[in-house]
Amino acid sequence: MNLIAADKLADLAAALAAAGYRVVAPVRDEEGAVHLKVWSAGDAIDTATIPANSAKEFLFPPSEVIGRYALDGRDFTPQEVRADPPRTVLLAVRPCDVAGLAILDAVFNWDYRDALYNARREATTIVALVCPASDAECFCTSVGGAPDSTRGADLVLQSADGGRRFVFSPVTEKGAAILKAAGSTLAEGEARLDPPASVPERFDAAAVAEWLGANFESPLWQEWGLACLGCGACTHVCPTCHCFDLQDEATRREAVRLRNWDSCALALFTAHAGGHNPRPTQTERWRQRVMHKFRYFPERFGIFACTGCGRCGRLCPAAVTMGEACRQIAEAASLLRRSSRSGCEGRKADTP
Amino acid sequence: MDLNQALRTDAAALLSDGRARLVIGYRAGGAGDDAARRTPFFITDPARCDALVYDASCRQNLASYLRKPEVRARSLVAVVAPPPVMRSLVLLAAEAQVTDSLVVVLAVGEGVYHGVLDIAQTAALLREKYADLAIPAEVVREIERIAAMTAEERAAFWTAEFARCTRCYACRAACPLCYCTRCIVEKNVPQWISMAAAGHGNYAWNVIRAFHLAGRCTLCGACEAACPQGIPIMLLNGLAAEEAARAFDARPGYDPAEKPVIGSFKPDDKADFIK
Repeated sequence: MNLIAADKLADLAAALAAAGYRVVAPVRDEEGAVHLKVWSAGDAIDTATIPANSAKEFLFPPSEVIGRYALDGRDFTPQEVRADPPRTVLLAVRPCDVAGLAILDAVFNWDYRDALYNARREATTIVALVCPASDAECFCTSVGGAPDSTRGADLVLQSADGGRRFVFSPVTEKGAAILKAAGSTLAEGEARLDPPASVPERFDAAAVAEWLGANFESPLWQEWGLACLGCGACTHVCPTCHCFDLQDEATRREAVRLRNWDSCALALFTAHAGGHNPRPTQTERWRQRVMHKFRYFPERFGIFACTGCGRCGRLCPAAVTMGEACRQIAEAASLLRRSSRSGCEGRKADTP
Repeated sequence: MDLNQALRTDAAALLSDGRARLVIGYRAGGAGDDAARRTPFFITDPARCDALVYDASCRQNLASYLRKPEVRARSLVAVVAPPPVMRSLVLLAAEAQVTDSLVVVLAVGEGVYHGVLDIAQTAALLREKYADLAIPAEVVREIERIAAMTAEERAAFWTAEFARCTRCYACRAACPLCYCTRCIVEKNVPQWISMAAAGHGNYAWNVIRAFHLAGRCTLCGACEAACPQGIPIMLLNGLAAEEAARAFDARPGYDPAEKPVIGSFKPDDKADFIK
């Protein structure tokens, strides 16, 4: 077994940085908040807390230049935007974040192969952390994930010996290269693996998808829509939300075309130039977000566009959250099923 | 009768006798099983008022919901309001955004219930009991720490803070005073502020928002609480509030007849740009 002492993860990050990797890790700041960020010397790595942001931004940044033009009076000359991403390690990211990359992969290779995204993806090695602890917002097991899922990982990191050590197991060749770069920060030895977090299943996602197909006009949407403030925070911390906006910005000499994160929670997302908005209130906007994740995306790509990371629930000021909405939907669906079953039995009894 | 009991009784009475069609308050819990969490609670059925809760953990400014068309369509709307929220409501009245035909106030304080009030009564209560609502001491200390920095240090501090902004605009959504139907950041003919979540665009966005709140912000802290990136927005708002109070004697949210600093001018202003 390849082992590292729990308090030596920063040494590992330093070794990988020295080997030329950009290291992204969960870092605890002075106020105790944990964010995934580009690690630099002195940063404290915290694997116990679920980071506030997802790993999405390191493959699909909040704002990126996708086109560039030189301007000279009325002339403009397109210039090449080269995909030249840094070699990156996502160190100790949880299975729910790794699962999010499968959704981004599907979108950015759908009807168009996005060169910038894919170059970044290929330059990235994923060191997944077997999830050590969950909270009340977690629901990965309800959407096909698991705290110890290794799907999509190049290397797996698991706590051992009661949190004193981590065990590294390479899954892919990319992962083996990380072990090599880690060098002497790792040691051979034996350790007893700690159990992963336990995440109870909170709803049946298939039942949710089925209910969504028949309940576009449910009064539940209005109830949630009232409370939703229309801030875009849930979509920005979401590991799978991938909608973007294109903006052109110019100075006298140069113009750039930018791809910026957008959010279906914002009114402007669907506002038309003529003033009409097909999603006039948060009721329609929130419905779109649930429908997209549990109905439209699976119809198109065969997977749910939600990994159950629970970030939306943790930070929503109004507690309008995907996990809770799905739980309520599944409950409504099972009530419906029960009442329609008893209805059938009733009819049967009446039949002579 | 304790605070919560009185609040529930009054809220239920408002709905039962038709004085209000919607009550916006707080309840315990929300998503997950976190019973300590306080989340907004929308009530149209008087029987559900039993779940209303108010305590110091209720952080969100419920006056923000009065901007939403689907909420405005349900007037009268009764809003559970602790002092900073009462101030927001009085300021919104001063800016002609809310009236007594839209909102009725369920006024609460720390451990006390002040009753069902209209806007004038709310302002009178604020002047009588909460006239000394100040910028929180820890915010003042941090503002002073940053003010003592060199210009380069200060720029580096804010550049690092704003670098985390992803431009989700949760701060704007959580703020009752951000009610523009089209925010300046979304105006693109011409584009005043870069929409890119980076560099000068982030700087401009956060600073402009603070300027638009100068002399208006009632320091409820909802923007900072909503920020998923932990940007210390209240330092900017607190500084702007200090400056507006020092230069213009601004005390927003105490008088529904008072013109806000940013929306008024005096012909005898001591600066000559106005002449």
